Amino acid sequence: MKADTASEPSPLIATGLTRAYRGGKGVFDITLQLAAGEVMGLMGPNGSGKTTLLRMLATAATPTAGQVSWFGNANPHDPSVRRRLGVMLDQPAHFDKMTGYQNAWFFAHQFGLARDRLDELFRWCGLWDARDQLVVEYSLGMKRKLNLVEALVHRPSILLLDEPTLALDYRAELDLIERLQLLSLTGTAVVLATNDVHLAERLCDYVIFLHDGRLIREGHVPELLTEVAGSKEVELQMNSPINLESLRALAGVEAANVEGDTVHIILSRGANPAQVLAVLNGTADLVSNMRVRRPHLGDVFLKLTGVALPAVHR
Amino acid sequence: MLAGTIWQRELVEFAQRRSALVIKLAFPLVFGVPLVIAAPPVYAAVTLTMLIAIIGALGAGAVLTRERQSGLTLRYRTLPVTPGRLLIERLSTNAVIDLLQLTSVLVLIALRHPSQATWWPALVLSTVGVLLIGNLMGAVASTLSDSPGEVMLYVFIVLLPLLFLSGVFTALTEPALLAVSRLLPFSYLHESLVGALGGQPNLLAWETLLGGFGFLVGAAGLTGRLGQRVLEAD
Repeated sequence: MKADTASEPSPLIATGLTRAYRGGKGVFDITLQLAAGEVMGLMGPNGSGKTTLLRMLATAATPTAGQVSWFGNANPHDPSVRRRLGVMLDQPAHFDKMTGYQNAWFFAHQFGLARDRLDELFRWCGLWDARDQLVVEYSLGMKRKLNLVEALVHRPSILLLDEPTLALDYRAELDLIERLQLLSLTGTAVVLATNDVHLAERLCDYVIFLHDGRLIREGHVPELLTEVAGSKEVELQMNSPINLESLRALAGVEAANVEGDTVHIILSRGANPAQVLAVLNGTADLVSNMRVRRPHLGDVFLKLTGVALPAVHR
Repeated sequence: MLAGTIWQRELVEFAQRRSALVIKLAFPLVFGVPLVIAAPPVYAAVTLTMLIAIIGALGAGAVLTRERQSGLTLRYRTLPVTPGRLLIERLSTNAVIDLLQLTSVLVLIALRHPSQATWWPALVLSTVGVLLIGNLMGAVASTLSDSPGEVMLYVFIVLLPLLFLSGVFTALTEPALLAVSRLLPFSYLHESLVGALGGQPNLLAWETLLGGFGFLVGAAGLTGRLGQRVLEAD
C-alpha cells in the first residue's frame, strides 16, 4: 500500500470488515488501506468474496462487523461520502424503459451534473450514437459502458469497479486502462475486483488475494510475482480427465489444478516441462494442446491455494 | 425528456409507458362509473375504499421488488441521497400518480353529487393519505420477498383485516372497535366517500378532513423513517 503523504485522511481504510451470510459464506476480517492515486486489485475465484467486499467499500452493503472509513468519515449513509465514490457494481442495473442518456443523466444529476462531461464520456466510450436508444435494447457490453460513464461522470476521488472489463471489446478495454492510469496519476484511488490477471498486472499497484472470504495474501504486484519468479506455468488442454495426484507427486511441480478442460501446473525453477509429458505416458494422446508460459498473478494464487483463478475469455 | 430528480424520473417513466398509462387511467373508471352512478352510497364507498387502498399498495411493492431483483436497489445505496429522502420522493410521486389515476373517479363523484362539496377537501386529503400509506405498505412488503406475486399476498394479508377494523365492510357499534377504527386511515377515507356520495357518514366533514390530514403527515414521517429499512434491507 502506498504511504499517505498528504494531510487529508486516507481515502479508504477498512478494519476487520466482515459480512457473514447464512451457510458460512461471506467475507471475514478484512483490513486494508488505500492511498490517493493507488490502484488496488481484489482477486480470487468466484465466490471468494470480491463482490461482497467491493459492495461494502462502495456503501452498497452493510458489514456485520468492522468498519470502513472514507477520508476519515465512517458513516456510509453520509451523502458527502457517497459523492466522492464512483461505483460500478457487478450487475449493470438501469431503468430499462429509459434511454441510455436519460439513465446517465439521472444518476449523474444525483452527484451534481456537468452536461459537457456527460457528453464527453458518452463519446469516449462509444455510446454517443446509441444515447437515445432504450437501455432494454442495449447489449451487455453497452450496459457495462453506461455503468462506467455513470461511475466516472462526477470525477470521484475513489473508483470502485467490479469486473470493469467484463463484456467490453478490445478497444474499449484499452481505452479504459488508459483512462484509469490517467486518473490514478491525478490522485484518484481505484479498487478493482477482477480475475483478469493481465489487467491486474498492468494496472494495479497492490493486490489482495481472497479465498473463501478471507484475505490470504496481499502485496505489491512485483513483490507477489517474485514468489513465482523463475518458475513456469504449463497449461494442458485435455480431451479427457487425468489423475492430478500423479502430476502433483512429480518433483518440481509446485501446484497443479484443473479449470474446465485445462490443467494448470506450476513448475519450480529449473524443472523441465517435458517431465510433465512423461508422467502422461500412455495417455499423452489425451492432451489436445500444451502451452508453457511465464508465470503471472494467477500462478501466485494457484501456488498459495491450489485453486486456479477462472480464465477471462476475450 | 430528461429527469434529474427521483420524482421527475418516476413521472418520465410513467409518461413514456403509453399503453400502461392508458390502462392505468381507464381501470378505475371501469369500477367507478357504475358505482358512482348506480350503486347506493354505502356500497359504492366500500368498493371505492378498497380500490383506492389496493391501487396504493400494489404499485410500489411490485416495482420495488423488481428493482431489488435487477440490482437497482443496490445502485440507490450508492447515491448521495439519504434513504429516507429517496423513499419519500419515490412513494409520494407514486401516490401522486395514483391520485391522477383516480382523478376521473373523484371528478365523477363531484359532478354527480355537487351538493356534497363540503366533503371534497376531506375526500382528496384522505385519498392521498391512504395512497401514501398503501405505497408504504407495498414498499415494506417488498423487503420480505423477491416475487411481486408474494408481495401482493403479503399486502392483502395485512390490508383486508385493516379494512375490516376500519369499519369498511360492516358498521362498527362496539366502542372499542370504533376507537380502533379511528386509528386507521381507511375509516376516514370511507367516511369521506360516504359523505361525498350523498350517504350518511358517522363523522363530520371537518373531522374527516383532520383525520385525513393527520394520516397524511404521519405517513410522510413514517416513510422518511423507514427509508433505510426498505431500501437498505439485505
